[in-house]
Parts: sequence; C-alpha cells; structure tokens
Amino acid sequence: MTPPFSPVLLLGLALRPVRPVLLQPVFDAMLRLVRSRHPDILERLEAYGDRIVCIDPVDLPFALLLEPDPEQPRLTVRRYVDACEVHATIRGPLETLIALAEGKVDGDALFFSRQLVVEGDTEVVVALRNAIDGAGIDLVADLASTLGPLANPAQRAATGVLDLLSSLRGSVETVRQALIAPAMHNAAARDARLAELEDEVKALRKAARRGTSR
Amino acid sequence: MIRPELVCPAGTPAALKSAVDAGADCVYVGFRDETNARNFPGLNFSRKELEEGIAYAHARGAKVLVAINTFPRAGYPDLWHRAVDDSARLGADAVILADIGLIDYAARTHPELRLHLSVQAAASNPQSIGFYAGNFGVRRVVLPRVLTVPEIAAINGAVAPVETEVFVFGGLCVMAEGRCALSSYATGQSPNMNGVCSPASHVRYVESGRGVTSQLAGFTINQFGLNEPAGYPTLCKGRFNANGKTSYLFEEPTSLNTLTMLPDLIKAGVTAFKIEGRQRGRAYVAAVVQAFRAGIDAVMDGRPLPATDLDSITEGGRQTTGAYEKAWR
Repeated sequence: MTPPFSPVLLLGLALRPVRPVLLQPVFDAMLRLVRSRHPDILERLEAYGDRIVCIDPVDLPFALLLEPDPEQPRLTVRRYVDACEVHATIRGPLETLIALAEGKVDGDALFFSRQLVVEGDTEVVVALRNAIDGAGIDLVADLASTLGPLANPAQRAATGVLDLLSSLRGSVETVRQALIAPAMHNAAARDARLAELEDEVKALRKAARRGTSR
Repeated sequence: MIRPELVCPAGTPAALKSAVDAGADCVYVGFRDETNARNFPGLNFSRKELEEGIAYAHARGAKVLVAINTFPRAGYPDLWHRAVDDSARLGADAVILADIGLIDYAARTHPELRLHLSVQAAASNPQSIGFYAGNFGVRRVVLPRVLTVPEIAAINGAVAPVETEVFVFGGLCVMAEGRCALSSYATGQSPNMNGVCSPASHVRYVESGRGVTSQLAGFTINQFGLNEPAGYPTLCKGRFNANGKTSYLFEEPTSLNTLTMLPDLIKAGVTAFKIEGRQRGRAYVAAVVQAFRAGIDAVMDGRPLPATDLDSITEGGRQTTGAYEKAWR
C-alpha cells in the first residue's frame, strides 16, 4: 500500500532516524492506559491471546506488534516485521487506523474501499476490530485522563494540535499538487495522444469493414 | 398510517448506545455464542452487558430485542433455552426466534415474553405466519427478502393484527434464508447452526501487485483489481468462471437500500423497519440509523425525503432495492 502524502508522512520522515526502542515506553504507557480504561477489549480477545497482530501505519517508519494475552498483553514497536512472525497484519495510513480505533469509521467500509489492507488470520483481525470498536475509545480523552488536574487543558491542547494537523493537510495537498504537476502534465498529454490513436484505429477499422463488405 | 418502528443492529454495547442515541426505536442484539446468527469473533453481549444495555435503552425510551435465531443442535437445546430464559429474566422486550421447537419452549415457559419470528424461519405467506401466531402467539414476523411491496401489503392485510418487519438496509442473502447450506459446503459451518456464514476463521485475503484475492477455506471466491471495491468472500457473492465467462453467478457484492421506498413500505402497512449489520462498526450503525430516522420522520410529517449518501458504507460500493421491486422480472 502506498502511503498518502500527508502531514503524518512528513512526520514519519522526521521520525526515521529515531530508534524504535526509544519510542517503546510511549506504547507501554498507552497499553497500560487502554488496559485500565477499557478492560473489556482484552476480555473480548480472550480466545486470541496467543496470536500476534502487526498493526502497520504505512506512513510511519515503524510498525506495532500486538499480543493480546489477557494476563500479559504486549505492544512492541518494530522497525521491520517479518510476515512469518505474525498471524495477521492490518495496514493503513495512521489517521485511518486512529479513526478506526475510535469507531469514527466503519472497518468493513474501509476494507471494501481498499483503504485498509488485511492479511493473514482474518479471524483475529475481525475479533480485534470488534473488540476495539465496542470499547468506545477516545484516544485524546483517554490520554488526557492520565494527567489528573491537567486533563482538561491537555485535552484542549491535544485538540488544538489535531486541528493544526488538519489545517496543514490543505497545505500539504498544495505541495503534493506542485510536486506531481509535471508528471500529471505528461500523463494528460499521453491520454490525449492515446485518445487520438483510438479514434484513428476506429476509423481504420470502419474503413476496413466497408472494404470487406464490397 | 402506522408509524413504523426503526429496528437497529448492535454487536457491542457501544454500538447499542450509538443506535439509541441516533434515534433507534428498538435495538436487536445477540449473546456471545452460537445461539444467534452473527456469532462473529469479538462480537455480541455477555449477560451483564445485555442487562446494562437494556437499562440504557429503556431509560431513553428504546426497546431491546434479543436474536436467538439459530437452530439448536440435536440433543443439545440447553444453550438455546438458557438464552431465552436469560432474555426474559433480564427484561428484554422480545426475543427473535427461528426454530419451531425453541418457539414452543419460549411460549410455554415464558408466556409473558413477546415473540418475534426471525427471517431465518422464512415464513413468507399468510398461512405460515398464521400457524406461528395461532399456535405460539408470535406477535411479529420478520419477512424474508423475497417479497415485492404489493405482496407485503397483501400479507399485512391477511395477517393483522400480527405485525410484520422488513429489512430496509444492509447485506443481502440469496433467497432461501434459514435454508442456505453454501457456507457449510465450504467450511462445515453455517449461519443456521453455528451463527456464522463464511466464518472469518476460514477467510484469507491475499494481496498481490494486481489486487487482492479473497479465499474461503482455500477456495478462491473473488479477485479484485487494484482500485476495485472489494467484498467479503461469502460463496453466494463469489465471482466464478463458468462456460468460459467470469461473472457473479448468484449475487453481486451490494447492499440493500430502500430509503427511497419508505413511503411505499409505510403505505403497505409494515410495522417495523430493520437495518442489517450487527457485525458492522459503530460508525455504520450511527450513519444508517440517522439516515433512516430522518427518512421515516420526513415521510410521517409529509416532508420530502432528505438527501443522504450511504455509498461509502455499502458492500461493493453499490446499492439495490432487491426483491422489493423485482426489477429483473
């Protein structure tokens, strides 16, 4: 899956030099938070505790390995993941994966429209999707809740950052358009030439048919 | 004109809340086992979740119906009986049943419990409906998706005061609900007995440079090009080679959408409109419930139907009015 040109992709490029091990504490904290705020997720995944799911945000230079063991769940950051070491993979842009986790988009609809790629053990992926969708996760509110009295200001700040990212999307799209403009120009010229050739072929076929029927 | 109830799906407590908040009159759910026809991994309700869900819905004026609509395994009816008993104990507003033996059990054991006949029972004529109503006191029948609107109107005229419920949105089955064995042939499991059609445990998607291939129990069911909308590999929606031609032999991946037909269905005397999709996410539930809530309210208030766009949540990116119009005739 080709990552979309987005602020997240640019962030991913900036994160490329960062060693995954340095990010691990962030994801350890996230997992602890999800466990405490949404224990029903692991309960729903009880039958799949021994499976490993790779969650691959295609616009970031790392992936996450989720092991939903009810007693000892793990969320590990990895630069590279071999398909052989996981039971299933869910792949998509980070913003799509977050929207899915928060139940803002329908997983089936994302898959049907090819915005999400699923490989491997479909059963554990469906179970994970249902468990997360059923939990009613709100990532910003969940993270802010850990800050005690600072929760409200933190939530406002996080919302501000997300709004900023959203407004940056328009600027990034302008950059994308500028970058691909020469290629689009060439493609348009080729399309026009192709249309001309198709017309010529049609005319020649028509003439040939007329000649045959005489 | 009857003001129809909007009956909405919920696979999780969060989806139940989404449905109620979006304007559902009723929410239908299932227990986390093979007693319901959406026995999907990670889905459905524990007893405690059902109790809490019923409290949430009732506090907001909505009802909760429990689907116990698979057919009990021969000699092992206890799981199904417990599901009926617990639904009654927890205060469900009705149970949706398919198996005649289970209906008999529910009618005898819980005479106060309202009984709905599942679409899985495939009762599609007044005689069949009359049998269930007369012998077991069934109050509502979910009609199979094989009938035209005039046929539904005729049934309503003949079976009143028994209520009818029809599907208005969501995934479609081929025409023999409750009797389909296609999934069993490939996987050994079926919606009728195990509550799963084409179970996810048997599904694989294989990506390649040319697109994605969907497989069920090792059989290739479909291949989708790079930008082609994909679908779930149920056998009835497979694209196969036959007589040198590749095509959908039974049914294309498409979703039922009868929003534009609501005035006709209301005139036909339908009591309840059902949205399919307990296996879908909260976003789907909220979007579809809002659209149909607005549609029903508009028709009842004599206003034009509001414009809605449900394309993005349909299977295969396509919609149909199915058998209601029988446009293929």
